Amino acid sequence: MASPSLALISASTLISQGAEAHRFRKGYRHPTLDASLTRSRVAGEARALLRCLRSGVNVPGVRMVDASEGILGIEQVESDALEEYEIPVDVLMQLIGQEIAKMHLADVIHGDLTTSNMMLRHPSSFKSHHPTLRTELVLIDFGLSFYSSLIEDKAVDLYVLERAFSSTHPDSEPLFASILKAYGQGMGKDWAAIERRLDDVRLRGRKRSMVG
Amino acid sequence: MQSYQLPHLPPHLSSVHAALFKDVSDAAQLRQRLITASTAEGPDGTRARDALNFAFIEARLITSLQHLRTAIHQAVMADALGSLRTRTVHSEIIWSLNPTNNISEAMRRYGVSDTSTSLVVVRIDSPELSVTDIERDMDAAVNGTKVPFADLRDITDWTAVKKYHKLGNEVAIQQTKGDVDRERGVVDEIATSSVAMKMVMG
Ligand SMILES: Nc1ncnc2c1ncn2[C@@H]1O[C@H](COP(=O)(O)OP(=O)(O)O)[C@@H](O)[C@H]1O
Ligand SMILES: [Mg+2]
Repeated sequence: MASPSLALISASTLISQGAEAHRFRKGYRHPTLDASLTRSRVAGEARALLRCLRSGVNVPGVRMVDASEGILGIEQVESDALEEYEIPVDVLMQLIGQEIAKMHLADVIHGDLTTSNMMLRHPSSFKSHHPTLRTELVLIDFGLSFYSSLIEDKAVDLYVLERAFSSTHPDSEPLFASILKAYGQGMGKDWAAIERRLDDVRLRGRKRSMVG
Repeated sequence: MQSYQLPHLPPHLSSVHAALFKDVSDAAQLRQRLITASTAEGPDGTRARDALNFAFIEARLITSLQHLRTAIHQAVMADALGSLRTRTVHSEIIWSLNPTNNISEAMRRYGVSDTSTSLVVVRIDSPELSVTDIERDMDAAVNGTKVPFADLRDITDWTAVKKYHKLGNEVAIQQTKGDVDRERGVVDEIATSSVAMKMVMG
């Protein structure tokens, strides 16, 4: 018998046309069918998303899991390029820091923090609860995520983002510093130890690159 | 009653019919009829089962139409993949809605109970069946007032949903700081996502 999930994907031109037509219809969201992943990766990604949802981290909702086919259907986040939102850069950095802190407080390590794994919700399909902000930052792509309460894992998660930032943004240092400031506020008493560990991780990274 | 198709599923699971009833006055008798029909033998038994061939769902635990549709999709997928955890696609919808794997708990909470006053009634079948016949059978099975799904707004028991999903102390709820609309949105999203990932919840 043909797999219903694969049949759904092969009919997906229709679905995306539908999504286009209903783009701004409130409360009506189509599942996005992610690329085929392995069974355990799909289960792990879905569980990380639910844990994030329960912990107040902005992530797409889960709509369908077909583990036997390795398919994960998630809420389609309507978004635009960052420039469309006219958010001051430091506010954006603050949003990033806050979201990562919420995630780490829930002991979820993302594993692939880059700006391409972050989206801004489109104001027209999202009701903001913030007095001035019309969007929210959404973390996506939990395919490499795992649970850990270890300071080391949280520090490495941040380091991955720092490296990604420095390779894509010419003047990344002050940007990353404002991410860390918001992150530190979010983490509260846990921050001091993570900050120290991040310095260690950077040092190890530098040594490695000198050797290699 | 609303009807829709799931064209990616085998024909016998591809037609969905769902309706919301409020002011249901005979839940206890309905439950009794379901129990009797499930064991009745002969042609009478078959007839009794056909007349009640629906999922009868406790409507106060449904948070949105999306929540309901996600549970329906979950159940038809399980049936199509040969991985039903309960006897029928209809009982599977009820099982999908419950956050734990305990079947009798699922039926007790999310199925019709003696005290139910609002019910969601669902029929999964082949597109060959006449919509008129299905709606007639549905109306005959339940003594209540059919209302649009938008009326779920006044029916959902958010306290019960939060309790069953153990959301009392979760950060996501605390974060809404008593903003009722926002809290409901969060609870609905968590309930919907939990249903969607039922197969890998373990
Ligand atoms: N929930 C979503 N809603 C809308 N677009 C998404 C969503 N998830 C991912 N995308 C888009 O698909 C791209 C790839 O998804 P991602 O989850 O990062 O997978 P990967 O990087 O492993 O291919 C993202 O960069 C984003 O543009
Ligand atoms: Mg990605």
